[in-house]
Amino acid sequence: MLRIDNLHVRAGDRQILNGLSLEVGAGEVHAIMGPNGSGKSTLVQVLAGREGYEVTQGSATYRGQDLLALAPEERAREGVFLAFQYPVEIPGVNNVYLLKAALNAIRKHRGEPEVDAFEFLALVREKMKLMQMDESFLNRGVNEGFSGGEKKRNEILQMAVLEPTLALLDETDSGLDIDALRVVANGVNSLRRSDRAIVMVTHYQRLLDYIEPDRVHVLSGGQILKSGDKSLAIELEKRGYDWIKQAAA
Amino acid sequence: MSAAPATKANAALERYSALFETRFASDPLSEARRAAFDEFLKQGFPTQRDEEWKYTSLRRLESRAFVPGAHAPVALDAARQPWASGAGLRIVFVNGHWAPALSSLEAQPPGTTIVTLAEWIKHEPAAALEYLTRASERAASSLEQLNAAFFEDGLVVQLAPNARIDDAVHIVHLWTASDQPAMSHPRIIVRAGHHSRCTLVEQYVSVGDVEAFTNPVATVELEAGAQVRHYRLQQESPRSFHIGHTNVCVREHAAYYAHDVALGGTLSRFKLTVCLQESGAHAELHGLLAPTGSQHLDTHTRIEHIAPHTTSAEEYRGIADGRGRCVFNGKVLVHAGAQKTDARQSSRNLLLSPNAEVDTKPELEIYADDVKCSHGATTGQLDETALFYLRSRGISEAQARILLIHAFAQSVLTSVELPAVREYLEALLTERFGPVQVNP
Repeated sequence: MLRIDNLHVRAGDRQILNGLSLEVGAGEVHAIMGPNGSGKSTLVQVLAGREGYEVTQGSATYRGQDLLALAPEERAREGVFLAFQYPVEIPGVNNVYLLKAALNAIRKHRGEPEVDAFEFLALVREKMKLMQMDESFLNRGVNEGFSGGEKKRNEILQMAVLEPTLALLDETDSGLDIDALRVVANGVNSLRRSDRAIVMVTHYQRLLDYIEPDRVHVLSGGQILKSGDKSLAIELEKRGYDWIKQAAA
Repeated sequence: MSAAPATKANAALERYSALFETRFASDPLSEARRAAFDEFLKQGFPTQRDEEWKYTSLRRLESRAFVPGAHAPVALDAARQPWASGAGLRIVFVNGHWAPALSSLEAQPPGTTIVTLAEWIKHEPAAALEYLTRASERAASSLEQLNAAFFEDGLVVQLAPNARIDDAVHIVHLWTASDQPAMSHPRIIVRAGHHSRCTLVEQYVSVGDVEAFTNPVATVELEAGAQVRHYRLQQESPRSFHIGHTNVCVREHAAYYAHDVALGGTLSRFKLTVCLQESGAHAELHGLLAPTGSQHLDTHTRIEHIAPHTTSAEEYRGIADGRGRCVFNGKVLVHAGAQKTDARQSSRNLLLSPNAEVDTKPELEIYADDVKCSHGATTGQLDETALFYLRSRGISEAQARILLIHAFAQSVLTSVELPAVREYLEALLTERFGPVQVNP
């Protein structure tokens, strides 16, 4: 599904990713962990098409296409979804409007007709229930006045409605209390499917108690230093990252 | 320190003098006109040395020879001019002259009198003269004096105590093509008796690419408990000059709501002065200035808190595109003794192009010690993170930009209570910035 090969990324004068390679298959959930500043967020942002980064070397192929050649909106229409670490507040743009516009953009790209207004509302209500979100959310501006937890729920709600093929979760667990974490994890788990891949960036092993990954990768200095199964995350929680850095040095 | 008339004399003033002598020398109001015109000559056109006019130069206006607008028959395509049809109270001026065929003043509710200024002067000369003389004496600026010297027509809206006009009073000033650049100095007078209510929609439009100069002055008086909602839409042609003044006096527990939208003109300057004269007086000002091309759009507001327990809230938004320039100056003056004043002001501006310019300046002058005053001004470009957020949801870059521009204007649009006006404004913004699509 996603194949990243020897990816080098720079932001201004700073080299952030330094030959990163990663392969994610359909149906898999990968967790990317690593110390602060290791390039975790950069990786998912570059994959989603954020401007301000320069790819100096390497490639990212998504379902056989050169992902990096696509505009952010084209990636979204092809089924890539980024759940933001800091979801943006956009007063004046209605939540439901954005959801509907996003869904229709994807449907149009697939050659499907515009979503029926009643079906759409029923779908959104169902997913809102899953995310335990209040009805009042519907008529508010995008993330406007939302608490940190509400914003993260809203990201997963969007993901649940848009049903991406490749979901990138950027520290979706940060800033969540244990109840909210459970709701968010439940939302993500409900989206696990044999034809969908999920890449989640996280600082904490805690998230992985709720969303069990198939693979865990340690990112440090812009490269993946070690990969393993979920037991690697447990070891990281106990021992930190230094032993991996030392082993790699 | 003002200079003698002789030293202020220049080609522009001489031109206006010649016009004044030929047109108004034998007018019933000639004395009041003469006094105003002398004052105009004494002051001359303001220059950029004047702090009030620091960012706005009138030299282009001064250099043009305008003649008073002429009567002209107009055939209007009602479909293209939403204001030209429909029920309610409507008064239309074409090139400064009342167009009865386009107007509709039959449905006046009890306790209200809506007449043209010319009719008022004809039928109640003493009252009109007294009012106009008093108004001219109070007029501070030279362009208001020019209006007092040259006005030909306008509108008088009077509401008896407790009277209500539920439909809006729609005042349209329309320019049509003429051989020579034309000018008009309309006068609007609104006197809202105690606990009366009305909504005014004051609109300035052009048909075609007309070069004209509009210099309207409006006076709005609200007696105790009255409520006036006043929309002002300036959409004149991109070659028009528009200098507007509105002076508002708000008495005890009365409330004035202003909605100031400027989209037209090559040079537009609007000065809104609101005096919160008695306790409990309230004013809310919403504004949207959206210059594009080489337009220069300027609004100056001045809110005077004269009595204690007066409140004001002001929110202005500027969207500057092309080489457009947006000027906003919001002055709040809290007089000594106006304790418990609550004044809030915000000016937010969006620069859509590297060549656009915004000059915004909040000004607070406070002479009382127990007051709550706040102000904030920001100017920036479209938020890159918000753009990326929308694009990452499948929305095209062009559509994401349009969405964010419309979103920025929303706070002004949501303040509009009249659905027809809100829809109309949304259509104008769509025309300028592109449509928000449900299927981007």
